[in-house]
Amino acid sequence: MGLVSPALDVPPEAERPNKRAKLEPLTEDTSQDTSRAVSPAPGGARHLDLAERLDAEERAKYVKGAKLGSGQYADVYSAHLKTDPSQLVAIKKIKVGAEFEQWGVSLDSIREIKFLQELDHPNIIKLYSVFSTKNQNLNLVLEQLPQGDLLKLIQDTADISYTPADIKAWMLMLSRAVHFCHVNHILHRDIKPNNLLIAANGEIKLADFGLARYMADPYEPMTYNTITIWYRPPEMFFQSKFYSGKVDVWSCGAVFAELIARDVMFRAIPDTEINMINLICEKVGTPTEDNWPGVSKLPTYTVPSPPTPLKSADHWRAMFPSVGPTGVDLLMKMLSLDPRKRLSAQEVLEHDYWTAEPRPSRLEDLPRKGGGLEAMGEELTKMGGELPGNGKPTASRGRADGVARKLDFAAMAK
Amino acid sequence: MSRLAQSAFVPAVRREARPAGSDSPDEICPVCKSSRYLNPNLRFLVNPECYHKMCASCVDRIFSHGPAQCPIAGCTRTLRKPRFREQTFEDLKVEREVDIRRKVAAVFNRREDEFEDTRAYNDYLNDVEDITFNLINGIDLEDTERKFADYERAHADEIKENAELESQEQSSYRVLQKKEREQIRLRREAARREEEEDKRLVEENRREQLRRLAAGQDASVVEKDGQQVQLKRRMDRRAAEERQRQLHARDAPPTPVTNGATPFIKGLKQRKGKEAEPPVDAFDGIRYKHQYYSLQDDYTYSFLDNAKKDARILAGGYNVHEYNERALADAFAGLGVFIADEVTERAKLSHDIEVPTEMAATEAQDVKMEDPV
Ligand SMILES: Nc1ncnc2c1ncn2[C@@H]1O[C@H](COP(=O)(O)OP(=O)(O)OP(=O)(O)O)[C@@H](O)[C@H]1O
Ligand SMILES: [Mg+2]
Ligand SMILES: [Zn+2]
Ligand SMILES: [Zn+2]
Repeated sequence: MGLVSPALDVPPEAERPNKRAKLEPLTEDTSQDTSRAVSPAPGGARHLDLAERLDAEERAKYVKGAKLGSGQYADVYSAHLKTDPSQLVAIKKIKVGAEFEQWGVSLDSIREIKFLQELDHPNIIKLYSVFSTKNQNLNLVLEQLPQGDLLKLIQDTADISYTPADIKAWMLMLSRAVHFCHVNHILHRDIKPNNLLIAANGEIKLADFGLARYMADPYEPMTYNTITIWYRPPEMFFQSKFYSGKVDVWSCGAVFAELIARDVMFRAIPDTEINMINLICEKVGTPTEDNWPGVSKLPTYTVPSPPTPLKSADHWRAMFPSVGPTGVDLLMKMLSLDPRKRLSAQEVLEHDYWTAEPRPSRLEDLPRKGGGLEAMGEELTKMGGELPGNGKPTASRGRADGVARKLDFAAMAK
Repeated sequence: MSRLAQSAFVPAVRREARPAGSDSPDEICPVCKSSRYLNPNLRFLVNPECYHKMCASCVDRIFSHGPAQCPIAGCTRTLRKPRFREQTFEDLKVEREVDIRRKVAAVFNRREDEFEDTRAYNDYLNDVEDITFNLINGIDLEDTERKFADYERAHADEIKENAELESQEQSSYRVLQKKEREQIRLRREAARREEEEDKRLVEENRREQLRRLAAGQDASVVEKDGQQVQLKRRMDRRAAEERQRQLHARDAPPTPVTNGATPFIKGLKQRKGKEAEPPVDAFDGIRYKHQYYSLQDDYTYSFLDNAKKDARILAGGYNVHEYNERALADAFAGLGVFIADEVTERAKLSHDIEVPTEMAATEAQDVKMEDPV
């Protein structure tokens, strides 16, 4: 069983069964459009209402290209502006599914659109616009992030190595993004390495707001069955319906630990709730009334006995030596069992770790996938040369592109 | 130098690479008839006035007391000793062509970003190539040389400026970049080794603990000792690293000179000096402040009483204080909106791609994305 989206094991909830279940995409050319059966006007030209026309106009602005990836509920394509082919975007096409049948629209995509519209931050993916196609497939026009996601870097232990300064730079960008969400009263609820995409300049962008929501009013219950299980905080395993931004901070802590150890911190196999609780007890300590007052009142509080005492700072330092004592201190406080003791996003940014040595790496120094050859190509284009052997027209549009070869005699060694 | 320059123009075989000891004519000095065969140290020099080749000792003998006529029969050029140099290329014709190209390139050193478009730049390169070709092949020599000199005079300032830019780029950009790449590589390499070493230590420690546990020792003592051992090892290593670092600090590369206020032509990347980096600001200069209200620690409001004390609510991390903040933010959100400003702002926007950037609270309450529970 691989990485399972939290949603798969969501118990049927009143109006929304099978949230984010696997959905079948309708193919583009399926022409029976039941919801809007408009008979074609004479001459083939179909009468369009205002909304349809606006959609068509928006859609016509882009030229769709290759598929960039696909997820549980969407396929993502590369595209560019018709008027300016150098302006790349990503079009996330929401798959039509059961939820659509019931609601006329996918709720996850509505969440994603709603929250992305509101958030404008360098470390949060940008949503440029939205349009729908004739099957009422929703399409999100997003900024294109061509360098893959953080998970790919973490897992590529053979080719990618990174330093504590790189980890600090990535964690700082993530922490800023999460803080910004929380300042705007939004919980992300799906923070994990593969939802952290990497921009061409190396910036980290928090993406996939399909599970986000506003922070709740008092007594307003929230679902505890969210956040990908390995990144889910203990209060959710005890089925607390009243939580806060600290749930995202736990996920960030798990990402931090994963970046350092290059292995998932809480990887329960099989990934059941029980196994996750046991693993957290084993690695952090057992939640008890002593270290987490009130925890035994949470709906499904059960822990293995005998309890494991909280791990000491020495233990954490021995486990995660490379980030130094301040880094370990931050990590421990992000993975604090009791959410009230866990740092808030604000407090995370106030921690000494960021200003301690080493300085976070500069964007241009961060390692990236396939860095070697690409970096070389970049260097060569700068000098007006060619990439050896690689015959395909690369995307590198350096300044020497299309320029007759100018040989650099002035610079030749005398 | 680009790859193309290597393959198309520069002959692959350089002088040094040639096998010594042959008795071919270019191994014999045409002036004194010494041969490399008898004197392996024989060095040949040329002077770009006429490219006639002779050995170093002839150059010394003939030109040490001042300019003199070339000793090669039929050549009337006056040569000066300082201009003699070793021949770079096998073929003297190539040697001469490269010299000419170098000279032309030093004067016609316009940069791509000075041109409106690629087309214009290509045209310019073409013109320059015509001039070069004429100079090399002696076509319209007088006319071409005059044009060349005119151009040089007319654009002296720009030529100098571009030359400076070029050399700055050469030294500060390329060299620096290479150096940085290398340093990054080394750092990564070190990090990787450290990572492995850490893994090894953790593993070793774990095995040791298991062994002791198997031997029947008290679990909590074993664990505590294990951590101590591990920590100590790390400390030792850290100390050793620190010593290394201090040792190396001495021969650290000098910090690069920054380009100061040089008026850069657009399109060139300017490299920042290392010291110029400001201290890290985790908040990235963004401070989130309430403009219209100040938040109290507590509000007496019976609706909230239970939420403030119910363990089932508190233990999950729910925080009434945060709710208060949010409620106030929502209530006051409208105050920051000035419709007149918004309208002007909107009028200014070109409507190509609409990028919605409104902040949450301003219009948050229309659709509440509640979790169905
Ligand atoms: N803006 C983008 N630029 C480039 N690639 C992208 C972009 N957005 C998504 N992708 C690619 O498409 C894949 C799926 O995207 P995304 O995670 O948003 O979909 P999803 O349906 O929410 O997936 P899941 O629920 O499985 O995480 C990503 O893993 C990534 O490879
Ligand atoms: Mg995703
Ligand atoms: Zn001689
Ligand atoms: Zn001569």
